[in-house]
Amino acid sequence: MSRTLRVRFCIGVLGVLALLAGLWAGLILLKLDVPNVRPHFEDIHGPLMVFGFLGTLISLERAVALGNRVGYLAPASAGLGGIALVVGLPLIVGQILLAGAGIGLLGLYLAAARRQGSLHLTVMGTGAIAWVVAVVAWMVGRDIALLVPFLAAFLILTIAGERLELARVIKVAKSARTFFMVSVGIFLSGVALSLVNVSLGVRTAGFGLICLSMWLANNDVARRTIRQSGLTRFMAICLLTGYAWLGIGGVLWLLFGNLTDGSAFDAMLHALFLGFVMGMVFAHAPVIVPAVFHAPVPYQTRFYWHFYLLHASLLVRLVGGDLFGDRFCWQIGGILNEVAVLTFIASTAAAVIGARRKSASTDEKLLVASLGSG
Amino acid sequence: MMFPELLAAPVTETTLTELLRRVIDPELGINIVDLGLLRNVAITPDGTVQIIMTLTTPACPLGPYLIEEIRELLTQVSTINDVEVEVVWSPAWDPEQDMSANAKRILGWTH
Repeated sequence: MSRTLRVRFCIGVLGVLALLAGLWAGLILLKLDVPNVRPHFEDIHGPLMVFGFLGTLISLERAVALGNRVGYLAPASAGLGGIALVVGLPLIVGQILLAGAGIGLLGLYLAAARRQGSLHLTVMGTGAIAWVVAVVAWMVGRDIALLVPFLAAFLILTIAGERLELARVIKVAKSARTFFMVSVGIFLSGVALSLVNVSLGVRTAGFGLICLSMWLANNDVARRTIRQSGLTRFMAICLLTGYAWLGIGGVLWLLFGNLTDGSAFDAMLHALFLGFVMGMVFAHAPVIVPAVFHAPVPYQTRFYWHFYLLHASLLVRLVGGDLFGDRFCWQIGGILNEVAVLTFIASTAAAVIGARRKSASTDEKLLVASLGSG
Repeated sequence: MMFPELLAAPVTETTLTELLRRVIDPELGINIVDLGLLRNVAITPDGTVQIIMTLTTPACPLGPYLIEEIRELLTQVSTINDVEVEVVWSPAWDPEQDMSANAKRILGWTH
């Protein structure tokens, strides 16, 4: 394994550790009788999932794309920031590392834009700014729950920018690009407004999310690629299902417009972060893992298991638990959400290991054949 | 030509381009030749394949994956000694100009 690959692997491990710790904190938030790591450990569930896990992997992906060694400082800082939160170092240590990572990610987008500027890079860069604003506001004492619109903005703008870029292959009309920009503008205005007026800000952002989901559902290349087969079709199904959750999340933000604990907040958060964002992760992992770690993830139909489990358990959680107030549905839905994420990790790892074994056995056969012919 | 025949055929720019049709963008399900990502393919007398290509965007996470796929594919050809891939950003990839009619048809372009 080359040095660069080792660095990527170590950073990836940091991200997965943050994910596992974040999932544990999630079990505590589900009010399950599990050992607590320390008092208030559950408070870092959101930062661990958004910055420690997703932030690490997204910035790692960008650093790999740019191929500049300095670029790896961003994902390394995000990964270490997550670990600092997990092990209980003073909160400020983790916050500084995470803020540095967000600035680093912004730097990566600027470097990419210097090679070739574009609207989609601007959108993704704005997502990185939302990351930095969220962490800085958290650092100066704002409740992390009140910063959920910024956490969401980081992920949603990253994904929306990527989809806008890919939408070029289906010749999106000028009017559709305008609609995209207006949707992003409404969403961002709401996110910014949430700093001074939570209700109005969240509702406005929710309206922006609905517009964005409509744009994605109408213009994303997944509408065409769903007609193909194998991995391409799997990715398209994950994406289109995710857009439905984005729309549902937008409706919930528009309806409830608050950021305080309770079933509405639970539904607002998880429709977006699990239904939409995790759906995107499921879609892209078989492509991103080989790109970043040089480890092929051959497509297998069993990838649909974690896809179905995630969305079915999310329905149980949101409808049975949050809407009808059934505690059992809420808890079992939440547990199965986590099982779906773990199944995804296990399934991806199994595909990588399977591919390696197959490759090793092919090499062995070739060696035997060449020895035989020699 | 089928894949084994391509591997055994004399290496020319045409056979190389045909071989590179096996490198597929997994999200779109379309190969890099039809996507118009290749700018130039050449082979030197010492058996080094030199590829100049572009990507849809500099932040494209698929870039390293596609380059690795190209290397793995071409190193299966016994007469190829080395594979050099250079990524260029100018001129920028333009789907209208660069994608083949086949890719446009698959992606539902009406004209």
